Amino acid sequence: MSHRIRQTRAKRVTTTFAVLGVAALGLTACGPAVGSTDASGSTEVDWASIEPAESISFWTNHPGGSQEVEQQLVDGFTEETGIEVEIVTAGANYEEVSQRFQTAQTSGDVGDLVVMSDATWFTNHVNGSLLALDDAFAAAGGDTSTYNETLFDDYLYEDAHYAVPYARSTTIYYYNADHYAEAGLTEAPTTWEEVREHSLALVDAGVTDTAFSFPPAEDYPAWMMNNLVWGYGGGWSDEWDASAVTSDGTVEAVQFAQDAVQDGWANVSSGSPADDFAAGATSQFIGSTGSLGGVTETAGFEVGVAFLPGGPVEQELVVPTGGAGVAISAASTPEEQLAAAMLADHLTSAENTVAFSSQTGYMPVRSDADASALYAENPNFEVAVEQLESRTRTQDYLRVFLPGGDLALATALQRILTTDADVEESLAALQAELEGLYENDLRPQLEG
Amino acid sequence: MPTANPHRQRQRRRDALVFLAFAGPNLLLIAAFVYYPLLSNAYFSTLNWRMGATSATSAGIDNYIRLFTSPQGAEMWRVTITFTVVTVVASMVLGLLVALALGRRIPGVTAGRTAIFSPYVLSGVGVGMVWNFIFDPQLGVLGHVLRAFGARSPEWYLDADLALVMVIVVYVWKHLGFCAVVFLAGLQSIPSDLIEAARIDRAGALTRFFKLTLPLLSPTVFFLTVTTILSSMQAFDILKIMTPSGNGTNTIVFELFLQGFGPYQNAGYAAAISVVLFVVLFAITAFQMRFIERRVHYA
Repeated sequence: MSHRIRQTRAKRVTTTFAVLGVAALGLTACGPAVGSTDASGSTEVDWASIEPAESISFWTNHPGGSQEVEQQLVDGFTEETGIEVEIVTAGANYEEVSQRFQTAQTSGDVGDLVVMSDATWFTNHVNGSLLALDDAFAAAGGDTSTYNETLFDDYLYEDAHYAVPYARSTTIYYYNADHYAEAGLTEAPTTWEEVREHSLALVDAGVTDTAFSFPPAEDYPAWMMNNLVWGYGGGWSDEWDASAVTSDGTVEAVQFAQDAVQDGWANVSSGSPADDFAAGATSQFIGSTGSLGGVTETAGFEVGVAFLPGGPVEQELVVPTGGAGVAISAASTPEEQLAAAMLADHLTSAENTVAFSSQTGYMPVRSDADASALYAENPNFEVAVEQLESRTRTQDYLRVFLPGGDLALATALQRILTTDADVEESLAALQAELEGLYENDLRPQLEG
Repeated sequence: MPTANPHRQRQRRRDALVFLAFAGPNLLLIAAFVYYPLLSNAYFSTLNWRMGATSATSAGIDNYIRLFTSPQGAEMWRVTITFTVVTVVASMVLGLLVALALGRRIPGVTAGRTAIFSPYVLSGVGVGMVWNFIFDPQLGVLGHVLRAFGARSPEWYLDADLALVMVIVVYVWKHLGFCAVVFLAGLQSIPSDLIEAARIDRAGALTRFFKLTLPLLSPTVFFLTVTTILSSMQAFDILKIMTPSGNGTNTIVFELFLQGFGPYQNAGYAAAISVVLFVVLFAITAFQMRFIERRVHYA
């Protein structure tokens, strides 16, 4: 009897180990390769011998409500080249497109040309999912020399570009011109000290309770406040070094913002500063140029825009870029990649970038684009383009390249601005958090 | 040594074949879509892996250590425990009170039962969006009402503690109806002669409730405790809609989303969180079945 029990037990143990063994084999077979590194787009391709594919797919979230204009541009491309393009709505925003692109890597069914935001392309590059597109773009007859240099170099990492600018924006200073007139203000502020003076004048004149709005954590405060910290000589990082967060300049700038809220001339919007502004609830805010059309249309007053204010240390290069570019999938065949490069060039040509801008509010991305029609339609657009050409600067690494970096910054900024938290201590904790994220989540991948 | 009966062996083989024919397809599906992902997830939890990357590095148990030792991990546990305890207790206590009220023979009670239960069948996404229109300090109904009385709306979305209060209120509102209806069914199953006998023995209303009704409701309380804890610990939709980046509301499931699919994109760490969630829920349920069910009085 006990012999039979032992036999049964032995059988069960053997079966269990066999099942676990098979499961382990299955798991390791379907999971990522452990211990190896990716070589994204590093395969040498003789582009001269490649013919473009007959059909490709374009994954987009139709930024700025661009579904119609994207279809028009793609139809023009097909007419010109004979290449069929399937437009795939791959998400409702940049993050969703990136998420779908990432999860689709395992199946291999990914878009050939994909919309990637400034904050999502790098992770996909680190994952080995994007093609270094300089050679393919040249083979497709594309000209990169006329792209706005700052916008194009936003996608530059280790001597290669991983996207070209497409739906690009910067931040810009919005003010309620009617409120300004009522308060006797004639010009927009050019420094943050003037922002404070103008705001106090607006409140004193009784035209508003809230003269200026900072964005909440959900509305990219680290992007909107980049201008302020750069003006004070600070930043969110110096490449991968997070100590910039606790530099004197950053501490002073964030202290200025906290004081502004506590002194009562500024607040932190609980929704969106753009909506509050358009509703007349606040007189000034810093927002995306992508909101220009919407805000102008919604507001029941004259909307003024101006260059972003400078600070006591830096007055010129204080404007962060933003928005999205288009990238080519590393998983596509060289034929598809070449066709995707041709489509990228077409979508962002001097003529088409203006057509896209007129429908969406994003900035023309080529320096040779003739935007005079845009300026005639909305004169504020000229201010935005002039600012783009003279004041922009590539964003700090830890905000746009570090997964979770922007959220960590946003959460910390909201906490500091809405409480009486000690700025220096809070930023020190933020620095530690950013360093932890970098060490745990990114550095191992960067170093392979 | 006894020899096996050939007839019995044939019968067993036939039974096994019938079992496989009927249960096999289902077992295969369960293995493919439940156990395989479960084991895969446990394996991924040992990797430092970003979603979509074709390569990863081994992390051993680092993801688990991080979950239990990092400040972010501690915050997640604090929020999860607070959210679960408050929503479970509030849903059950309020649900019982509502059930007691709805159990009375009063006009309009059927409409009342429908009104109380209907939020439970609504989509969490829709509920979250509607409540956003109520809580929004600038544009929301609550803000307008408070301003009419000269008060200012609290900053529900900016203050992490208030954000947690806000999602708890909405979650309890949505799930209250389920507890109320289950309690009502439990109350109606209590034999009326027992209550009548207690009344004849001059037991007061409170005595009847605590000494008779509540003990006889213990199977219902037990059932609801298990289901509401499981439900609260897996809450996600309302939290995601009302506080998209998890400001003070990052419960374990929300944190799992933020880490795996949200801004952090750390699939290995997210897998570790889900393994821990599985173990915690399994342990809570096993504990309840093993120890608490003993105290349940079945009528």
